Amino acid sequence: MSDIKNDAPPIRHLMMGNEAIARGALEAGLRVAAGYPGTPSSEIIETLAKQASKHNLYVEWSVNEKVAMEVAASASFANIRSMCVLKQPGLNVAADFLLHLSGSGTRGGMVIVSADDPGALSSINEGETRPYAKLMEVPLLEPGDFQEAKDMTKWAFELSEKIKNVVILRTVTRLSHASGDIVMGEIPEFTGKVEFRHEGFIIDPMEGAVMSAPVEYKHTLQQQKLAQTVDIFESSPFNIYNGPDKPELLIITSSICSLYCREAVSLLNLEKRVGILKMGTTFPLPPQFMKRHLSLTDRIIFIEEVLPFLEDEVKILCAEMVKDIGIKTFYGKRDKTIPMVGEMNADITLKALADLMGMTYQGAPEDYKKKAQELSFMKTPGREPTFCPGCPHRASFFSIHEALKLDNRHGFVCGDIGCYSMAVLPCGFQSIKTLHAMGSGTGIASGFGQLKRFGMDQPVLSVCGDSTFFHAAMPALANAVHHQSNIVMVILDNSGTAMTGFQPHPGLKTSAEGSDAIGIDIPSVCRAMGAHVTICDPFDLESTKETLLNMMDENKGVNVLVLKQACALSPEKKQKQKYDMTIDESLCQGESCGCGRICTRIFCCPGLIWDKDAGKSKINPVTCAGCGVCASVCPKGAILKKEV
Amino acid sequence: MKTSSPGSLKTDIQDRDLCINCGACTELCPYFKSYKGKIAMIFNCTLGQGKCFAHCPKAEVDLDELSLFFHQKPYDGHPLGHFKSIHVSRAGETMARVLFQNGGTVSSLISCALNNGVIDHAILTDKNGILPEPRLVNTTEDTLHCATSKYLAAPTLGELNKAMQNKLSNIGLVGTPCQMIAAALTRMNPMNQDGFKDPVSLSIGLFCTWALDTRKFMTFISSKMEIRDIKRMDIPPPPAGIAVIEKDREIINIPLEDIRPLILEGCSVCPDMTAEFSDISVGTFEDNPEWNTLIIRTEKGEQLVEDACKKGYLTLSDLPEKSLDHLLSGAGMKKKKAILKAGTEGLMNTLDNSKPAVLRMPESLIKTITK
Repeated sequence: MSDIKNDAPPIRHLMMGNEAIARGALEAGLRVAAGYPGTPSSEIIETLAKQASKHNLYVEWSVNEKVAMEVAASASFANIRSMCVLKQPGLNVAADFLLHLSGSGTRGGMVIVSADDPGALSSINEGETRPYAKLMEVPLLEPGDFQEAKDMTKWAFELSEKIKNVVILRTVTRLSHASGDIVMGEIPEFTGKVEFRHEGFIIDPMEGAVMSAPVEYKHTLQQQKLAQTVDIFESSPFNIYNGPDKPELLIITSSICSLYCREAVSLLNLEKRVGILKMGTTFPLPPQFMKRHLSLTDRIIFIEEVLPFLEDEVKILCAEMVKDIGIKTFYGKRDKTIPMVGEMNADITLKALADLMGMTYQGAPEDYKKKAQELSFMKTPGREPTFCPGCPHRASFFSIHEALKLDNRHGFVCGDIGCYSMAVLPCGFQSIKTLHAMGSGTGIASGFGQLKRFGMDQPVLSVCGDSTFFHAAMPALANAVHHQSNIVMVILDNSGTAMTGFQPHPGLKTSAEGSDAIGIDIPSVCRAMGAHVTICDPFDLESTKETLLNMMDENKGVNVLVLKQACALSPEKKQKQKYDMTIDESLCQGESCGCGRICTRIFCCPGLIWDKDAGKSKINPVTCAGCGVCASVCPKGAILKKEV
Repeated sequence: MKTSSPGSLKTDIQDRDLCINCGACTELCPYFKSYKGKIAMIFNCTLGQGKCFAHCPKAEVDLDELSLFFHQKPYDGHPLGHFKSIHVSRAGETMARVLFQNGGTVSSLISCALNNGVIDHAILTDKNGILPEPRLVNTTEDTLHCATSKYLAAPTLGELNKAMQNKLSNIGLVGTPCQMIAAALTRMNPMNQDGFKDPVSLSIGLFCTWALDTRKFMTFISSKMEIRDIKRMDIPPPPAGIAVIEKDREIINIPLEDIRPLILEGCSVCPDMTAEFSDISVGTFEDNPEWNTLIIRTEKGEQLVEDACKKGYLTLSDLPEKSLDHLLSGAGMKKKKAILKAGTEGLMNTLDNSKPAVLRMPESLIKTITK
């Protein structure tokens, strides 16, 4: 991560998109930032947390996105600038509050940064932020490059303060995680004393009560704010047209897709024939500005990712203005010129442009993907996604899988969101059979646990991580206990929000800023809720399996098994081996009957290697984390562990 | 004997409900394990052939081949199999007066064999609650602990596999007919392992007409009483028609008709009531529950019985003619029914490219037995 604290302008600095957003917020005089970790958004809060003491900020990793948005909103109500940072699924979590927040309005500038992941590079969905702006009737900004990421973030606070409502800034993986040159500005000093003013007339926006009622009055006010936003957007410097006066084709684009468009137009030498209208303020669209550009030509293509949001909004405007601008021909998602799923790239853009302009574009050949797959299949060893060496999840699922198989009643695991989601794959022995949102595993299990009355006699397990437990699984657990659902909830406690980079959560004794926090004991919470709780070390395969079998046997109520073992990459464990592992080759049975190389065929820790020529398993001393679990997996005692 | 893959053992034996939880496929590898009366395949195994399949008494058992190996004679379909002599027996003066199911013959023979160096260890079936549990013992005291019938299928052969892994030898094995078949198959060294040594020095088979599916029985009985209150269970010989369950201060009779649906499916294709592939077979003596029926099948068996009588472990007497007729007809009936059923279900002498056969025997014998 680069150094964003160098605050002497106008220095140019190479910065990640997320750092640029953080820098923009600092330059806007941000005071409070709250979020919940989620790729590709996590670096924004992390970057700000590091600057907290120097720039007098309050930064927190909240328990979930809804609470994060509420924490940020409180600062705005106290008339200071705040930001809520989340990945798009988190916006769904916070949506209930957002509906009311957009109705009540804000005071100090408040910006929601929501990160989409088109193509689901680090997600199990490609959820969209943009329709929320329309649904919640709040402005939406989409930076198209790294400088804009910083500048737009800074400006978003001003806009929010001008219209007294929250502003959504949408970023995507390729902007958040790529890096570019940024020219930095000043970071203002904070002076003064904060106060929440509430003793004025009840509906006074700056001194009254903050709420979305009386609804008709507040809703009208909210729509007036949106109208005011339209006026501001009409002259926004973030909406840029580049191209000839009379283009044969107009590209309308936004976000990181604008870079693909620039690349495509340049590669096809179409600068004199095709114009690019890059929109930074994508909701509400400024009609007069749009009209001027829609009048330039009759052929329009939309280059955007996933859903046809921009396309639909522009088409509405075109319908309204048809008398003035004439009938247009549109190309985009609706006519299938551009795919409606997955990431966009320069190649898709090039091909679409070439087709529309009657050019031949020699892009990647049709069978490129197939050939690449074939080649990689033939020339490279199979590398499935897997857990890290020494990962407690591999051990946990090994025991869960064995217990389910021994139990032999077709039991299954309802999965949740974390590294352990990978247990749908062979690395987790394909134990997980449902996988949805944060906390959904236990919620779904709670329901399955009620189906006994209809003859379902399969054991129902759920898994969730420690951070997920606090985020969204607690209500599900309460529901299961209250309704006496017959389930086993396994909490995979690896001491941090490991998947996104060890952000703290309420179970830990440190905060985002590194200061002391109160750690809440998960087993105590579960016990207080009325569940039977057992704690095991997942590295003890035998007792984990036995405990699970007993819990499944009990056949009534909620049993919670807390499998506690820190992540192998956690700061306290990283590069510290507990055991020195070796293999006694004289004992290793390899592929023969009696073993069938369970260690390298089934358990598959990257710390183990199958030596084809010798017909023996070996320890890879470079990757082995020295957790010692494989010693318990080997049926012949050939894997030896020696305490370091 | 045809041997197939671990995968086939799962799909063709267990998934077709033929498994009787004898334990012969367990304790060999990390893949097959027995839990609460049921065998589970934990992970897939990609081997083309496995000991698990080779040892299974429900997978490709060629009775002729087995008989040639065990008795050095072809299988002839006699209701009681090959044997030397039949008697009735009971524990002798040397044995302490303890509660046996019937005459205490098995405990007496094992004690005699242990105490006189015929065997060094015995693999028996103990109980944990009502769940049968295999146990390796070395003393008379521990042997007596395992006395009485269990009626629930027990994975006893897993203990034999474990003992072999631990390089134990000179083992006495007590088990049901299917377990005796599995043990004989194991002792044939079907996978031609280097340095294989037959670990079993004595095998005592128990008469058996069927065993109960542990899980079905537990579900059934738990609807009637607390399982942990059950002290003992007995099924007295016909015509009683009941199962007797003893609790602390109460005896409960359950009609056998209620129990029959809980019988393991695999038992219905078992042609062996008297444990034909053992040195000695022991069962109830229906005329007098204080005694057992005893079948001596091998020289080794003959010698042990002789020794046991001499040393006061066992008392022998003659089996009345009428009782022998009764035994022959009972065992013959089970054999006939099983072979007919296996035939109709396509589990007998199947063709090479179809699913594995449960049993194989010459077609001419099938005709004789099912006449």
